[in-house]
Amino acid sequence: MENKDPVQHNCDHYDGHRYKDMKHRKYGDKEVDVCIVGVGASGGVLVYELSKAGLDVVAIEAGPFWNPQSDFASDELHSYSLAWQDTRLSDGKDAIKFGHNNSGRGVGGGTVHFTAVFYRFHENDFRVKSTDGVAEDWPISYYDLEPYYQKIENDIKVSGPKELPWGTFRGPYPYPVREPISANSQIFREGCEILGVRSSVVPLAILSAPYDGRPPCTNRGFCNEGCMPNAKFTTLIQHVPKAIQHGAEILTDSMVTRLLTDKNGKVTAVEFVHDGQLYRQKAKVVIVSAFSVESPRLLLNSATSQYPYGLANRSGLVGKNLMVHSGHDVFAKFNEEIRLYKGTPVMAYTQEFYASEPSRGFVRGYTLNAHGNRPVALAKNLAVDGGYWGKGLRDVMLDFNFYAQVSLVGEVLPREDNFISLSNEKDEYGLPRPLINFSYSENDNKLIKDAVQKANDILSARGGKPAFVIPDSGHVMGTCRMGLDPEKSVVNSFCQSHDIPNLFICDSSVFVTSSGCNPTETVMAIAARTADYLIDKMRQGPI
Amino acid sequence: MSHYSHYPDYDVLSLINEWDDHTKEIVLKRLGPFPEPQFLEEKEVKMLRLIAKHLCYENRDDIIDWIIYFLDQRLKSNIGEHQRKSSLPQEKILIREGLKATDEATAQKYGKNFISAEIKEQFEILSSMQQGKAPMIPRWDSILQKELFDKLLDIMISAYYSHPTIWSEIGYGGPAYPRGYYRIELGWTDPWEPRRPGADKK
Ligand SMILES: Cc1cc2nc3c(=O)[nH]c(=O)nc-3n(C[C@H](O)[C@H](O)[C@H](O)COP(=O)(O)OP(=O)(O)OC[C@H]3O[C@@H](n4cnc5c(N)ncnc54)[C@H](O)[C@@H]3O)c2cc1C
Ligand code: SF4
Repeated sequence: MENKDPVQHNCDHYDGHRYKDMKHRKYGDKEVDVCIVGVGASGGVLVYELSKAGLDVVAIEAGPFWNPQSDFASDELHSYSLAWQDTRLSDGKDAIKFGHNNSGRGVGGGTVHFTAVFYRFHENDFRVKSTDGVAEDWPISYYDLEPYYQKIENDIKVSGPKELPWGTFRGPYPYPVREPISANSQIFREGCEILGVRSSVVPLAILSAPYDGRPPCTNRGFCNEGCMPNAKFTTLIQHVPKAIQHGAEILTDSMVTRLLTDKNGKVTAVEFVHDGQLYRQKAKVVIVSAFSVESPRLLLNSATSQYPYGLANRSGLVGKNLMVHSGHDVFAKFNEEIRLYKGTPVMAYTQEFYASEPSRGFVRGYTLNAHGNRPVALAKNLAVDGGYWGKGLRDVMLDFNFYAQVSLVGEVLPREDNFISLSNEKDEYGLPRPLINFSYSENDNKLIKDAVQKANDILSARGGKPAFVIPDSGHVMGTCRMGLDPEKSVVNSFCQSHDIPNLFICDSSVFVTSSGCNPTETVMAIAARTADYLIDKMRQGPI
Repeated sequence: MSHYSHYPDYDVLSLINEWDDHTKEIVLKRLGPFPEPQFLEEKEVKMLRLIAKHLCYENRDDIIDWIIYFLDQRLKSNIGEHQRKSSLPQEKILIREGLKATDEATAQKYGKNFISAEIKEQFEILSSMQQGKAPMIPRWDSILQKELFDKLLDIMISAYYSHPTIWSEIGYGGPAYPRGYYRIELGWTDPWEPRRPGADKK
């Protein structure tokens, strides 16, 4: 029966059709041009661009097709249900926290509860080996991505300053800069000014004026809980509905468990589970866009006798070089009320410390974001990561409104010791759970120390009393990196795997280095570039 | 336990008619009444209530009821726990076995079980667990005490700071859809926000 309302959590969606079961699939046993695994930041862009170009596309997403009005709420605890909650085994000296902290699930992926801070990388982010003698260079330059950065900013109407003081791109952005800014961002900018540190209002994937039937932001501050008014961009509300109009089919609540290959070694189909039932989707090309943990996990789980170490893994690097951003939160107490809960969480930043600076004793750098917060997130971090509990915690929390916060987004260098592999423990699908190992390097730790000091200097200059620093991290990247040499990378510069020409991996896992800023604009620009390449190639003939 | 607040006149629930229905429903459920626990056993509930009082520094039974309900629901469900060290058992087991261990460690040191221990003794046991220094008993080999402490803290604190009474006390504006905030600059408040007695009406 036809049902147009996605509130029902239908599992099959294509133009004019919404179904609660898999009996009416648009393509069924037919082979489509492209099958995309995962509909997050990258998958959303891919399904939109490829279907717009007239290709037959099916995108398969493990989580639901969210409805912001009935699935989201103005509540922190409730928002955990928007995240990838499935247990991941996490070890290492600086074991990573997953779930809401860094992983999305459902159409939109991480964009559903991300903070929407939207930066371009700088030119030298792509040339870390050449400039600093560590890590690797990317096989692409800033200028290869420049037209795609511009396209993405324009497609979603990023709001931002007319002029930026740092980076390769100096503005302007398509939509006006956000104004006014929150008290926490104001305090931060005033502290910067006293110290002679340049700061700016942040470019945001959040509307400052109406666009495409969506209203501007009302500053309610719940970006990490899902934006109910739809002022914040997500691929759920921006790209996917348009892709459906262009003919794409989206299958949801459907976990892809294996990629299938034929005797020639090419990928032929994907297998997925919906409601305990196993299904297949045949495709000429498969793109894995399932995020830096699930993408390598799926490749490793798809091993065959021909590919005993998993697909696309000739280099042995699938799962290796996992990176995060160091994301320590620095708090100072003020005599006046800051009220961290109000306004879009991040509205001011500085990249004054972004580039390498030999006198600091470490390479690379970081962004400092003035960052809002809410009671559960703050109390939980103070408790579990800061060691506060009982009366101590209660006393801090009673002064909740008097704290200001700055958060670091620090570059973490890629190392093979940081990786995801398969464990012996099985999940509900009978698949090995991922085992992640992560520790910071000496360079990473020196960078963190410097950044924490700078954040405290800024808050102190404005009259704050340094209160506590909570170790945190954000964003997972790497694990299937791009490169020119098939022995030292997993995919080429267009995200096509070196080993299997009709298998692409296109998401945050292809990052070669992490940069010192939030990654999603780069994830999306890479996806748009991959889409262009594929459209062009597929016009020329089979891949 | 003092309940000093900068905002004695503020009640976040007085704003509830401004919230969207979904949020309203979610928050009101935290006020009870709650069904009987489905995963936790009677003795476990007794111990966990005492532990929650220490961890949250809270004595009000209705708030503890919500914390226990939330914990029970979580342990009952099969939704994952986001991440876990590979050396640790699942959280259901960690907590169930961990409570036995906590009881045994209390007996080792004070010659009585956790429930019969003095408040100060309970506090000592919990503090020593946080530091991995609780009295040695064999069960700590498989149940890491600091991990147990952090797991209980994580779940209980999440529930505690989701309770609207606590929101009122800390001066949290709470849910803000569809209304949003208009006066976000330093020193400004929207008319419905928490204000300290005598504060400027800016
Ligand atoms: C709290 C938070 C705040 C953030 N803030 C910012 C920010 O301010 N700025 C910024 O730039 N970035 C931010 N990010 C990061 C951003 O969300 C990610 O960079 C981005 O979403 C990564 O895109 P992706 O396409 O690699 O993966 P995702 O967007 O995570 O998409 C992957 C999708 O694949 C699905 N999937 C996984 N496995 C399977 C499978 N086997 N079968 C089917 N589907 C599968 C998942 O359910 C998911 O929907 C934030 C993230 C979080 C969680
Ligand atoms: S602050 Fe703005 S963008 Fe963020 S959730 Fe609220 S309305 Fe949406």
